Amino acid sequence: MTIFISGGCKNGKSTLAEEMARRLAGSGNLYYVATMIPQDGEDMERIRRHVRQRAGKGFQTLEQGRRLEDCLDGACQDGTFLVDSVTALLANEMFPADGPWDLQAGERTAQELCRFAGRVKNAVFVGDFLFSDAGIYDGPTEEYRRALALCHRRLADVCDSVVEVCAACCILHKGVMPE
Amino acid sequence: MDFVIGGAWQGKLAYAKETFQLAQEDIFYCTRQDMPDWSRRCVAGLEEYVLGCIQRGEAWQLRPRADAVLICRDIFCGVVPVEAPLRLWREETGRMAAEIARQADTVTRLFCGLAQRLK
Repeated sequence: MTIFISGGCKNGKSTLAEEMARRLAGSGNLYYVATMIPQDGEDMERIRRHVRQRAGKGFQTLEQGRRLEDCLDGACQDGTFLVDSVTALLANEMFPADGPWDLQAGERTAQELCRFAGRVKNAVFVGDFLFSDAGIYDGPTEEYRRALALCHRRLADVCDSVVEVCAACCILHKGVMPE
Repeated sequence: MDFVIGGAWQGKLAYAKETFQLAQEDIFYCTRQDMPDWSRRCVAGLEEYVLGCIQRGEAWQLRPRADAVLICRDIFCGVVPVEAPLRLWREETGRMAAEIARQADTVTRLFCGLAQRLK
């Protein structure tokens, strides 16, 4: 089963995603695909906090900030994968710290996410909903928003279930919640 | 009248084209410069029209056909913008959306390409 979860910041998406991934995994392999590539001390602290929060929940961590499918090389595809988040993954693909910007990365990343969803037994994808504000953005930022929305729409299309999280409550847009 | 709302890049136009069988010539895409062509069946991007009104210091007007399909972006959920015109834009677009929703037979919100019927 594949699930796409979106919603605003700090609304409980990650907590819900962890819970769903654990339910889907049962006693099988449970992977956390860590997408953040730390840029500074603040990121390191955030990562330490997330690692602490996941401790004892049975996740094996796969570090994969770019080229999502590469993490399957060392993993059991029959397992359950929590990809948190599409937002960070796309940012790493579009704006790599060690190379030129790739503003065309949206299509490639969207395809990679959909292929990933098709290759594994269970997956939960998390993406931030940042499309309902009254901002007018510069070119690259708006291009990033457009690309992120493309990834979200494609995932919403291929995933079995689509859930919007608001104030830790779920709005089911497609499919069913995992048992 | 049918109203389609949703955040940026959520698939509002694609949904409207398919659902209401709209051809390209049925659709007017709003700009900040021009008045909407209310004779068209579909008027899309109403938030752009409202922004133009605010920049010119005019009040927005609604003159849709009885069978109109109106499309507006949800710009209401972010931080209150620092710039006064954008603040006004956000508020006036919200008022317009509420007024359209009141008059409309159906209101549909698009989320990641998925339609959610609100009315």
